[in-house]
Amino acid sequence: MGYLKYLVFRILNAILVLLIVTFIISALFVKVAEQSNLAKMNDEMMQWDRTTGQNILRTQGQDVYEKAKAEYEQFLREKYELNLPYWQKVYNKAVRTLKLDFGTTTTPIFGTNNVSDIIKVAVPRSILLFTTATIIVIILGIFLGVRAARHAGSVFDRGLSIFALLTYSLPMWWTGMMFLLIFAFKLGWFPLSSMFDPQLTGWEHVKDVIYKLALPVFTYVFVVFGGWAWTTRNIMIGTLQEDFIMAARAKGVPEHKIIYGHALRAAAPPIVTMIIFALLGSLGGAIISELVFNYPGMGRLYWVALQQNETNLLIGLTYFFTVLYLAGVVLADMVYGFLDPRVKVGASAKM
Amino acid sequence: MRWVDVKEGFKEFLEEFKREKTGIAGVILLILLVLVALTAPYTTIPDLPDKWRSSAYWEDNPKNVPPTWYNMFTSQKLVPQVAYYSDELSITHPSNTEILIEAPYSFSKGYYLGPQGIIIRNINVTLNLPSEAPTYSLYLERPDGKTVPLVDNKPLTSSTTIAVGRDAAISANIYVWLVNVTEGRELDPLQAQMDPIVIMNINTLVSTAFARVEPGMNAQDIINNPEPLWGDYKLVLKIDNPAPDQNKVIIDDIKITFLGRSYGTMGTDYLGRDLWAGIIWGSRVSLVIGILVSVLSTVIGLVYGVTSAYLGGNADEFMMRINEIFASIPSLPILILIGATVGHVTLMFIVLLLVIFGWMGIARIARSMALQIKEQTYIEAARALGAGNGRIIFKHILPQLLPYAFAVIALSVPGAVIAEASLSFLGIGDPTAVTWGQILNAAQAQAATTKGYWWWVLPPGLGIAVVGLTFVLIGTALDKILNPRLRKL
Repeated sequence: MGYLKYLVFRILNAILVLLIVTFIISALFVKVAEQSNLAKMNDEMMQWDRTTGQNILRTQGQDVYEKAKAEYEQFLREKYELNLPYWQKVYNKAVRTLKLDFGTTTTPIFGTNNVSDIIKVAVPRSILLFTTATIIVIILGIFLGVRAARHAGSVFDRGLSIFALLTYSLPMWWTGMMFLLIFAFKLGWFPLSSMFDPQLTGWEHVKDVIYKLALPVFTYVFVVFGGWAWTTRNIMIGTLQEDFIMAARAKGVPEHKIIYGHALRAAAPPIVTMIIFALLGSLGGAIISELVFNYPGMGRLYWVALQQNETNLLIGLTYFFTVLYLAGVVLADMVYGFLDPRVKVGASAKM
Repeated sequence: MRWVDVKEGFKEFLEEFKREKTGIAGVILLILLVLVALTAPYTTIPDLPDKWRSSAYWEDNPKNVPPTWYNMFTSQKLVPQVAYYSDELSITHPSNTEILIEAPYSFSKGYYLGPQGIIIRNINVTLNLPSEAPTYSLYLERPDGKTVPLVDNKPLTSSTTIAVGRDAAISANIYVWLVNVTEGRELDPLQAQMDPIVIMNINTLVSTAFARVEPGMNAQDIINNPEPLWGDYKLVLKIDNPAPDQNKVIIDDIKITFLGRSYGTMGTDYLGRDLWAGIIWGSRVSLVIGILVSVLSTVIGLVYGVTSAYLGGNADEFMMRINEIFASIPSLPILILIGATVGHVTLMFIVLLLVIFGWMGIARIARSMALQIKEQTYIEAARALGAGNGRIIFKHILPQLLPYAFAVIALSVPGAVIAEASLSFLGIGDPTAVTWGQILNAAQAQAATTKGYWWWVLPPGLGIAVVGLTFVLIGTALDKILNPRLRKL
């Protein structure tokens, strides 16, 4: 199988999965929306009955009132799609979602009702926070991991391993709470809430954003980089025992070149996959972490949407997350195929 | 694979495991954790989950106070909780119609403030003659010779709970006394109750009863900045029962509590709940969910992956698509959604949810391993002898993945523990259980971090971290044994 053919196969596969997942998500959310829509309809019906309805009853009599009431109810049923059978609704919702038509929210968030616009506001913020942090983690993790692998068994290596094991077991949001306690409450170095000040513009705004971002970024890096370093270390140790490294050493290639030129390159595929998923994962934001820091990104938006029962926004966000994940899978496959030629010929047929 | 082989292999494995220091440390931690979880009802309060949500049960505890040992690290010491039961009190009967209950309280030197409040409860009254109802008065005798009248001749009913520090009328009485001593004025207690100073300071007025109060001082200053008056205090409860034959006052169960400004091993939360008990009990849920979820999802993942690899062809393709679908659904949001719509969530339901969204990665790895095993000759031989698919999968392929399964189970426990805690933290947890996530949820809801209540935030997270660390230690030790390349180090 050639590289291109392999790629097309992977992309088609991802699209198929996306279609199915969209239907599953729609089915789930339509069920949730049904109840809230029914409640909303009853509310509006009562509202109408109290004002317009009673008016008609007084001026035009019982018959006209009954008719108007039935008409209005019909209108509302259509408005909230309560007249359609369940599967029809799911289908409609899924098709609209696939067309990126997410609809509107009932109450404005970030000053707009349009779901796409709301997501467009939140995404850059999550990117800013988590992508910055992820990049720091990748650089720090790979550098320290390679160092630990070179001096395997040293105090540094052991220290790093212990640190990695400790942070692996920490929930990030709890660490965030602790850092808030220490650095924001006790020492007062950072703000207690990372909500941006909307009044600032220009340079002042940039300064404000950096100030508010510092603690969340620090938390993320602190919790995650140990695991990265440790994984890199393990992969590198495996690679460093390969024959070609030994051959290179025998040839007299400088140690620095062996590590970064030969070994790290051979160890690249799994590390690259990790990088891709870390970067993509970062876009989704971490729901709870953003909640703890009161950071106005995707994660917190998701929570707000859940609290306010904004089904359209929830579908939009979930769809966005799914697309991101699948794009990551395809991208990882692409890079994998590029870095490791074996994937294209043998294994891909079985994948 | 024969049973003897398994036994032999297991023995060998144990030998190797014993040489892994981290693994041994992990096993010791695990044993400790299991002991803590099992003995929770005996070391703390039995039936804690039932009591956890009833705020009445915790009424005798101070609210939002740090642990007692915190005093070792601060210059301003915080008084501990002191409780007296009927046998520790001096109860006298000066006359036929009077009962005098005296509770000593020593406010030791170095402490920053007096108790947060005083609670007297469990006075039982049987009333047969309402016109001659018993009454009670409450005084605090101070070391400087002054006496603070807290309650004066109020009727006693069987449901009387006297709450100094929470009762507006008592706080007003303290204020009246304070003004009387400092300025010599005599205020009307009823009017004092309406005074904004009293309304604003109902809780803090208790401290002035335990503060230095001299004529000429400013009452407002004493309220805002009480200077402690150390020494021996005496709380006197006088009950007048004009008709002791008809109306019975039973004080066998009486409990007088001087609320501390510090409490127990781990302090209390906003309802006065003992956080130490909550954390000990939380370990049960954490361990059970962590182990159950990781075992179930590993088993399901293994069987799924191996089956998929063994069947091959279209069946494999189809099964892997299903795997991808599950993997690409963003799990935490969907979990939150399902939890929020279902309403009443039980622990088993959470386990189910976490398993449904947790088996995919293992299935993938198991499949790739099984693809290699599948090609070996003895599988072919077994098939040629007429073994069925189920027999080959369960008898010949799965046992080979078993050691690997143990490492995966151990390593996926922390993830499951964190996932459960995350759901509880978001308010989607079993409401009848006490979990670390729920304690943290309450802490977040009450803005504990921005108020500096570290004792409420630190321990539950440390608990999660310790459980995680335990299984990571065990898991990495297993991993090292099974992954020979790492073993050389």
